[in-house]
Amino acid sequence: MANFFNLIQNENMKIYRKSATKIMFIILFALILTAGLIIKFGTHEKAISDNWKQELIAQNKQDQKVMAKMSGNAKNYYQERIAKNDYRIEHDLKPTTGKNIWNFTDDATNNLMTVIILFTIIVVSTSISSEFSWGTIKLLLIRPVSRTSVLLSKYISALIYAVVMILFMFVVSWLIGGILFGFGGLSAANLQYVDGHVFETNWVVYELKQYGLLSITLVMMVTLAAMIASIFRNSALAIGISIFLTMGGSIIVEILSRFDWVKYILFVNMDLHQYINGTPFQKGMTMGFSLSVLAVYFIIFVILGWLFFTKRDVAA
Amino acid sequence: MNQPAVKLEHVTKQIGRKTIIKDLTFDIYSGEVFGFLGPNGAGKTTTIRMIVGLMKISQGNIFIHGKSIKTEFKQAIKHIGAIVENPEMYKYLSGYNNLVHYARMINGVSKERIDEVVKLVGLSDRIHDKVKRYSLGMRQRLGLAQALLHSPDVLILDEPTNGLDPAGIREMRQHIRKLAQEEGIAVIVSSHLLSEMELMCDRIGIIQKGKLIGVQTVNEFIHSDTNQQVQFYVDKPKKSSQVIIDSLSLSNVIQGDTYIELSIIKEQIPLVCEALIKADIKLYNIKTLEKTLEEKFLEVTGGVSVG
Ligand SMILES: Nc1ncnc2c1ncn2[C@@H]1O[C@H](COP(=O)(O)OP(=O)(O)O)[C@@H](O)[C@H]1O
Ligand SMILES: [Mg+2]
Repeated sequence: MANFFNLIQNENMKIYRKSATKIMFIILFALILTAGLIIKFGTHEKAISDNWKQELIAQNKQDQKVMAKMSGNAKNYYQERIAKNDYRIEHDLKPTTGKNIWNFTDDATNNLMTVIILFTIIVVSTSISSEFSWGTIKLLLIRPVSRTSVLLSKYISALIYAVVMILFMFVVSWLIGGILFGFGGLSAANLQYVDGHVFETNWVVYELKQYGLLSITLVMMVTLAAMIASIFRNSALAIGISIFLTMGGSIIVEILSRFDWVKYILFVNMDLHQYINGTPFQKGMTMGFSLSVLAVYFIIFVILGWLFFTKRDVAA
Repeated sequence: MNQPAVKLEHVTKQIGRKTIIKDLTFDIYSGEVFGFLGPNGAGKTTTIRMIVGLMKISQGNIFIHGKSIKTEFKQAIKHIGAIVENPEMYKYLSGYNNLVHYARMINGVSKERIDEVVKLVGLSDRIHDKVKRYSLGMRQRLGLAQALLHSPDVLILDEPTNGLDPAGIREMRQHIRKLAQEEGIAVIVSSHLLSEMELMCDRIGIIQKGKLIGVQTVNEFIHSDTNQQVQFYVDKPKKSSQVIIDSLSLSNVIQGDTYIELSIIKEQIPLVCEALIKADIKLYNIKTLEKTLEEKFLEVTGGVSVG
């Protein structure tokens, strides 16, 4: 009856008018600023000298020596560094330090994605369960709108919130990076190493790809949180369990790593970096395998969350 | 045309092994105020939750203007405006934004309609304040406003006078009567207080322990009694009671200073008069004491207190 866009508008109103949400934006801003100030004033990285080409050549020699004593995957790191250094010397691209607008943006945003995941877990959990704890669900569900649409609007508006937060984080990091380290650093090259080749890539596109990969974790954890919230109708429980799993997932995996079936655990499959520029968690795991496992988890979360939200009596 | 606005057919609700609502059947028509009366825990809220689709119906069915709430939820629910228990709103939003929120969930509620409803419930001055700063009375009004937004044909109010002061109660009562009479809305009001029901309802259904004890019009309810208390004002009460006890073999004669009071059926009144006059007693006045709903209720429910 009423269109779905209206429901999204409602959920957005409820998310952004809450003071907790405003505080989340402030916290994220404060974290970026603090990181910027620490890097600016608290770290002493040697400045790049005009003599940088000689220095890179010296470093390459050193790396070759170290690499000769190694075998297998351990070599990769040095191979990549040598290739990138060669590329810089060849194309006359002066190296950058962490005190560069792009390097700062890259560091800050990749590290703060976890914070955004936590915030989005909180947003989706409260969006669903607070309706029950406040009793507003009784007025929400007596409209000519299906329960499925109500739940979907909550889920989608939480994902929209995550996108807004990511864009906010990117823009703020870039601005703070520029203000603290100078916008002159914008021309810094972004060198990528894939299959033995070095190439330059656009920073913005590169960052968006990074966020895209991290968003797989985000979507999985937010879906898990939404499911828990609609099963238990209790935000504290939903937030608690989801945050515990987000933070403790890797520890659980560590403990269980000697078992073969650990590869079917959610947390092992969420990091797709392992197939792009890393080594897979277990031999024989492929990108396709992980995507399939993730799809199965996703479908289970969605079905369970949906069943509990739409089929159960509202007794709040 | 005479289709009931709300029709309950053998509605039963089981939770676990407990049967909370047992085989409720009744109809409510447009333009009437139906009182749903029963002590706390009788099952009023549970029944209302089933009518509005918040709880599933274990057995039986409920129809709103002929549409089943089970199988045609959207078609049925669009006729209903309701408050279930307390009118809980988003406290950190303004009253106005709360209304905008609900207005967006149904087609055809204009901005003008929101303003109109706000004015109707008398919240114009404070509608842009956050709901957390509202008194309980103001929240009830806002609750009424959200229920009326889409001009429903059926209005369901679960204990709407809870927490209101006497003036607020009177005002709520006037709203309810007006909505039924002028707009032809079918109104269901639940309450555990009889005194309220008497003044605002056309019919009353009494529920106790999940069972419907009876549905009656308010008038019937008060008058249907077989035995009425009747006072006969006479010049010699003492002699009168003796006469009555002897000639009509009635017990339970109460003797006052200027009257005697009997518990009798309507048909016995002329007999009493005849007996008194025959015994040369002067009869000044006859007064039938109508039982209040409260007394009647205690009788029907077997003396269970209604709080
Ligand atoms: N979710 C539930 N689970 C079990 N029992 C319930 C549930 N909800 C209500 N009840 C029971 O059903 C009965 C009716 O409750 P309710 O409908 O709230 O009564 P009323 O509104 O008339 O005061 C009460 O005995 C209550 O304990
Ligand atoms: Mg109740």
